Amino acid sequence: MDAVSLIYAGQETDTPWRFRLDELGWRDMVTALGHDTLPFAGLWCDGTDVHALFMLSATQPLAATLALEDGRYPALSPARPVSSLYERMAYDLYDAEAMWAVDVRPLVDHDVWSATAPLAASPGPAGGHKGQISFQPSEALLAAGGANGGAGPATGQMETPLHVAIAFSGETITRAETVSGYAHRGLAQRWRNSRVDDACRLSGRVAAGCSVAHQAAFCQAVEAACGSAVGPEAGLIRIVLGELERILLHLHTLSGLARGAGALVVASRYAWFREKLLAESALVIGSRLLMDHCVPGGASLRDATGLGDLCSRLAKLGEEIYPALANLWRTYPALSLRLSSLGKVDEALLDRVGLDGPVARASGRDCDGRRTQRIYQSLWRLTAGRHGGTAEDRALVLLDEIGESLRMLGEAAPRLGLTAGGRVDLTLQDGEGLGITEGPWGSVIYWVQLHAGRVAQVFVHDPAPAALMVFEASLPGQDVADVALVRQSLGVNAAALDG
Amino acid sequence: MGLIRAVFDAAFRQGGPRLKPVGPRWPLLLFHVDTGGCGGCGMELEALSAGPYDMEGAGFGFVPSPRSADVLLVTGTLTRTMAPVLEAAWQAMPKPKGLICVGGCAMDGGIFPENYTVMGGLDRKAAIDLQIPGCPPTPQQVLDGLCSLFGQRAQPAKGQAEGSSSTSS
Repeated sequence: MDAVSLIYAGQETDTPWRFRLDELGWRDMVTALGHDTLPFAGLWCDGTDVHALFMLSATQPLAATLALEDGRYPALSPARPVSSLYERMAYDLYDAEAMWAVDVRPLVDHDVWSATAPLAASPGPAGGHKGQISFQPSEALLAAGGANGGAGPATGQMETPLHVAIAFSGETITRAETVSGYAHRGLAQRWRNSRVDDACRLSGRVAAGCSVAHQAAFCQAVEAACGSAVGPEAGLIRIVLGELERILLHLHTLSGLARGAGALVVASRYAWFREKLLAESALVIGSRLLMDHCVPGGASLRDATGLGDLCSRLAKLGEEIYPALANLWRTYPALSLRLSSLGKVDEALLDRVGLDGPVARASGRDCDGRRTQRIYQSLWRLTAGRHGGTAEDRALVLLDEIGESLRMLGEAAPRLGLTAGGRVDLTLQDGEGLGITEGPWGSVIYWVQLHAGRVAQVFVHDPAPAALMVFEASLPGQDVADVALVRQSLGVNAAALDG
Repeated sequence: MGLIRAVFDAAFRQGGPRLKPVGPRWPLLLFHVDTGGCGGCGMELEALSAGPYDMEGAGFGFVPSPRSADVLLVTGTLTRTMAPVLEAAWQAMPKPKGLICVGGCAMDGGIFPENYTVMGGLDRKAAIDLQIPGCPPTPQQVLDGLCSLFGQRAQPAKGQAEGSSSTSS
């Protein structure tokens, strides 16, 4: 039997796409996953059960649930390597132990919290470590030999805090590992039993620059749990915000990449264009990082009726400025050459960790969640980008996506007209819902459980864990000085990773 | 915690007299540490340094090492894991030195108040020379705040509309 059949063979739950397995069924599922390509979206624990989420298609979820037995469950990481990050998180937060896990290092708990296993029914004592956390190199890193070094978490740059430990020989990295947890804010605990509006605000601050993707997915999940859905106009407003977010974050990323690669003129021009778009949007949208505009039941903008007009203006700005910007990137002396040897990601690695988004698209993977959403149908136009898998290919894919999203804004403008979007009044009822969006760096999925009019549990799938594994795997062979550039081109975000 | 006890120079006091240091302390050099927020303030700081705000022209610059910094610029709520890192950065800075909090999280924890992993903001934990509120503050607000250290007013960046805010309305 394949993994899907094994999950369907489990006991049905109130949620039609979630099935409860017993331990033998779960073990069979793990074995079946070893020779199955079922896409894995994440694993989380709620204290009594452990859940694994898979995606049958871009819109169709399938989840398996197993009750913890003595705080243990069979690990998924032997079959899905990226699961190890989720398993380590579940251990740090709930003391839920993954049996036969491939990696058991702490992920976010470095023995400095005021309680160990803080979300477990009976949390443990406070961590006893004083001072900066020390990096414990794995045997593989020690075996790599050469000199050891590291960077972060405070580099003086603007990125989120993460420590990258490297072994290097001469100027070349032989192996790299990361230490995360510096940005762990305890989101799972904060979401627990929170009001829906507060939970939505929190979801907008999982990862700045992807706020719309996170909040739209959260809102979809809440609406699905309530058996409701927003109208097409509010849906279109969310789409427009999502595309604007993609444009702004990609411009930000490209500006940073150009600066890191020494092309300061390019960096400055991209930052200038981003500021120009933001200045144009300010009076209609009301915030620069697009936080808190997607709310459960609808959308909230400073002047929603002006959004259609704004889209036309942004698309016009794009027509005027974007071609020259794209040309500048492609023709700037040595910029392509500088990036073309950086951070090559092959398809086998992507398949192993299940990363999607522009990183996968730049490696020839045909994946874009937007294609399956009905609301995108009249906006979508297939673009074919570069497939080499290097930082240069990724930059060019981002560049293409900016142009494509600007065009989509222009297409959406007449459909928006003067609509204010409207808002659906949600009747909060007990239940579970799932929301999926295609964020700037890949799919964002929210699983939300409502109970007694409040949010009981939230699980987030973000591209960050898979991106981290790709980052670690792509560093060997790179120059020591290029760590930050590779990180930026892969969109590794410690804030989203740590939660 | 015995984190930061800023022995800060009068030149950096908010609202103080115009005592902008001359000579080797020009421009004022900032070392940024994200102590565990969502990264939004960091994005706005990057927009400030790379965008059309003429931050260097106003007399401020970011440096990659605390050893050459005049001011520690903190964003994000303070996590227990980052606290010793922040302390180390502070200790590495030469005197006189100052401390600036950018964004609501760095000030009082903002949306991420104290819990098992978060100590909240630096308010009441350290002597803060300047606080710039917002979630996150816009680059212009950050620049205005920095300029206010010397009783100056920043020139608005060209093309920036009035009413632009990073905080949702």
